[in-house]
Amino acid sequence: MKNFAYYKPATLKDAARLLTTQTGKNLPWAGGTDILGMMKDGLAAPDGVVDLKSLPGLDKIEYRPGQGLLIGAMTTLARIAVFPEIVRFYPVLAQAAGEAASPQLRNQGTLGGNLCQRPRCWYFRGETLCLRKGGDDCFAVEGRNKYHCIIGGAPCFIVHPSDSAIALTALNAVLHIAEGMKVRRLAISDFFVLPEKNVTRENILKPGEIITAIEVPDVNPRTRSIFLKVKERGSWDFATVSVAVIVEREASGFRSGRIALGGVAPVPWLEHEVSKALSGFNPTPEAISRIAALILKNAEPMTENAYKITMTRNLVQRALSELAG
Amino acid sequence: MNTRIVRDSYFVENDLLEPLAEVPATDSEAWDEGKTFNCIGKYIPRIDGYDKVSGSALYTFDISLPRLAHARTLRSPHAHARIVSIDKTPALAIPGVLAVITHEDIPKIPWYSARSALFDTVVRYIGDEVACVAAETEAIALQAAEAINVKYEPLPFVTHADESLKDTAPKIYPNGNIVSRDNVTYSRGDIEKGFADADAIVENTLKTQVAVHNPTEVHCSVVQWDGGDLTVWDSTQNVFGVRDDVARLLGLASAKVRVIKKYMGGGFGSKLATGKYTVMAAILARKTGRPVRIALDRREMNLAVGNRPDSRQTIKIGVKKDGVITAMSLNSFGAVGAYPGSAGLSWPFKQIYNCPNVRTEEYSIFVNAGPSRPMRAPGHVQGTFALESMIEMAADKINMDPLEFRLKNYAPTDPALGAPYTSKYLKEAYIMGAEAFGWKNRRPTGSSSGPLRRGMGMASQIWWGGGGPPAHAVLMLNADGSARVLSGTQDLGTGTYTFMAQIVAEVLEIPIHKISVVIGDTGVCPVAPLSGGSLTAPSVSPAVRDAALQMKKKLLSGAAVLLNTPENRLTFKNGAIFPDQDESKKLTCSDIISKLQERVLVTTGSRNANPEKMAACTFGAQFAEVEVDIFTGRIRVLRITAAHDIGRILNPLTMENQFHGGIIQGVGFALMEERIMDPYTGRVLNANFHDYRVPTMMDIPEITVLAVDKPDIQLSGTGVKGCGEPAHIPTAAAIANAVYNALGTPVGSLPMTPDKVLSVISPAVPELRSES
Repeated sequence: MKNFAYYKPATLKDAARLLTTQTGKNLPWAGGTDILGMMKDGLAAPDGVVDLKSLPGLDKIEYRPGQGLLIGAMTTLARIAVFPEIVRFYPVLAQAAGEAASPQLRNQGTLGGNLCQRPRCWYFRGETLCLRKGGDDCFAVEGRNKYHCIIGGAPCFIVHPSDSAIALTALNAVLHIAEGMKVRRLAISDFFVLPEKNVTRENILKPGEIITAIEVPDVNPRTRSIFLKVKERGSWDFATVSVAVIVEREASGFRSGRIALGGVAPVPWLEHEVSKALSGFNPTPEAISRIAALILKNAEPMTENAYKITMTRNLVQRALSELAG
Repeated sequence: MNTRIVRDSYFVENDLLEPLAEVPATDSEAWDEGKTFNCIGKYIPRIDGYDKVSGSALYTFDISLPRLAHARTLRSPHAHARIVSIDKTPALAIPGVLAVITHEDIPKIPWYSARSALFDTVVRYIGDEVACVAAETEAIALQAAEAINVKYEPLPFVTHADESLKDTAPKIYPNGNIVSRDNVTYSRGDIEKGFADADAIVENTLKTQVAVHNPTEVHCSVVQWDGGDLTVWDSTQNVFGVRDDVARLLGLASAKVRVIKKYMGGGFGSKLATGKYTVMAAILARKTGRPVRIALDRREMNLAVGNRPDSRQTIKIGVKKDGVITAMSLNSFGAVGAYPGSAGLSWPFKQIYNCPNVRTEEYSIFVNAGPSRPMRAPGHVQGTFALESMIEMAADKINMDPLEFRLKNYAPTDPALGAPYTSKYLKEAYIMGAEAFGWKNRRPTGSSSGPLRRGMGMASQIWWGGGGPPAHAVLMLNADGSARVLSGTQDLGTGTYTFMAQIVAEVLEIPIHKISVVIGDTGVCPVAPLSGGSLTAPSVSPAVRDAALQMKKKLLSGAAVLLNTPENRLTFKNGAIFPDQDESKKLTCSDIISKLQERVLVTTGSRNANPEKMAACTFGAQFAEVEVDIFTGRIRVLRITAAHDIGRILNPLTMENQFHGGIIQGVGFALMEERIMDPYTGRVLNANFHDYRVPTMMDIPEITVLAVDKPDIQLSGTGVKGCGEPAHIPTAAAIANAVYNALGTPVGSLPMTPDKVLSVISPAVPELRSES
């Protein structure tokens, strides 16, 4: 690992300046849990890191009835998992934050950092010069692809590693992105980038841009949500597959709903068609089975990952029946 | 110290060892079954426990010396290649670099049964050693290793055994990719007739994966020259083995090499062999005139210091309706990596059941991957998984309870070795375990319903673990009544320090805190075996007991003179000796030693010879209950009950620790651990602790540990057998059988990850109705 400088800026403006300096390449540092691994594995070699956790005011959580939730980007996952109003009104997010990584990593990792993680693909993380690192091939196509995506992949078949991104996608969250003192709002669905658009990056952030907060629209008393995740071990594991489902209930069933999937695509995957079908949906067991079977119907699995289709459909089925009950 | 030399015979990690060993001339009377103890068999906390948890215990990794240099290794980036040239100049130009060694710099040192060398000109797996650098810091050494410019001529490679067996596969050695064609088959009885006699036959092919040892403490050596004397601090399971290898390979007298291993964070077999890194560090230390430390990182741990070979086992079992097994056949092969090793796994198959007609055939296959090493019961873990899977299927086929089926085919004597056992209490273990577990509540296979399916399964365990000579201990008793006991054995974290102190405390009736234990030092300790094959306690405990009994005799002899009373009228109690039941005339140990004007009394004890023409084995059974989520394919192990015959229990606390560790490692092997190899690049894709999953606290079931706790008095004076490997052997098999019981279909392949479990569940989208 190359020696690097550590910067602790006092303001967003200083942080932006450090991140756009022409004299070297500095990278943002939030919880540091991913960037440190990237540096150790030789996948990132910055001249300096800019500690965003030291910036004042970026770790607040505010909930205002009628307005919704505003979470500072430097809030740890551990706090989000237990924050009372999030647990009560946005269980899908509390569950996603609580399912991520391990207790130690959740104490250190931030929501903003979690959204900006690099992929865990073992070809990307390994020594191979893959497409995402500027090479010519995605090795997963011919190689070992059990954990790779089954939809939205070409030409690179990563899955997005964030659990909270799946929940926030189902919640229609809006990101506050600062460039110096200027802050803009961006729908989370516009934040992530598919490989077909740009194979070397996972989101639209430009150097110097920082996520400062995540805004989540308010819910009403009829809203229910859930996050389900399959891991191969009990803790410290990225999602094999995850589903985040939010519905608004009415007397006869669901008034509306939205389903986002993790572990299946290079970005949090919104099931538009099935989500639409949840409007006025009567969640009988037969109807739920029928609708779950429509999930990922355009999936194109590779040699070792077709099981993800079954697993995702089963999870959606379980999630919908939980929310109907 | 009256001794004799015998030719002994016992198994070490499946290899028959026939040492000429020094043993006591006469065996002292064994501690019999009913004996009551003050210290043996008690929950005694580890005597080194405080040092370990407080951080004051120094592991090899912690050793620091003045002017210490640090070494790192350059490893092959190719799965198979010829080295064309090596340019060291860019590395040597880096400030702080002290020395670089490659195959060009040192005489050829043979390695891997002389199939290769310390530095070979052909590399055969990604991770094979190419060069080693010593520098002022580890970071500089790593940077310099990466700066060495090596030109390779890549050669064709093969990474999986089934591919390697094909005629078209690249040859890793001129003779081909099968390690050896000698002794690959075994047979007894008439296999054809056995199958013809069967009422029912079960047949299946089962697979297991490559697993990696991953001890907590990484492989590490610190070496220092002092004139012509070499001291090696090494994280090893075999101090005398490392001493002799290093001496032989460097052309030194073994007396000039001192190997020290005080505390250790596990080995599981990966630290049985002498490391290339140790020899490289010794060469660099000589070259630089400075002590050198070399420690492997987790990637190197995954690639280069061993693994458990994978397996593909085709098994056929024939049974009568009444439950008698008439024939058993096994065909298997597994990949041992790029250098000689064994993928053999047939011992449980040949030994556990009393079947007269058995045939096995097994092959070890070279592939371009890191070489295998014995890993916690080599062969038995994968062999037991497949065998016991088929046993449970066979029992189901004839509608017999699997435990009853096993008892029906119980082997009173060893069917493979044709010898009686020194002791066998497997039946007792079966019954004890079944009762504690509630085996009678097991429901018929496949009868569980609902989204979360419950199942119960069991598996039997057989292993060596009787130990044997040579194993010696020196006991030194001081005038203040304190004692020091020395033996060239090792404590891998298993509790060797503690049981040695317990035995001295028991025999001489002195408090355990007055006993100091010195082990793992070839410079001062008498020889003892490597710590593998579950043979440390059964080999070393009788030697320590012998030393202590001799010391007791010596004290009695001294007291007889001092008290002017014949020895047969003396009583030894609470560390003191008195005549004619008159405690007022007692002499304490220190009284005797100081009056004899001996500052320290010394005795040497030895492990007795094993009884001739008998088989010494450990036995046991584990029972598992699981819950399978048929929506996700996730298996949760709810509880494991272990019941084993491992002879007398010296310390139930450390014994239970061994079982907890072995069972947790078994859960990992059953559910998640797997080295994943890319066939197109020859790379291990998960050579780190994130992608190679070992169990976390969230994966650990409720564990109950039971022991028959009957001494094997034919085996040794202490009646102890080993338990490190027995703890681990049947866990994965029991879990697999519980999953089979839950689902009605075997998964048949380890690890049983959600994708594989989903593939045997139908329909793909389960009925929702069953979920309430």
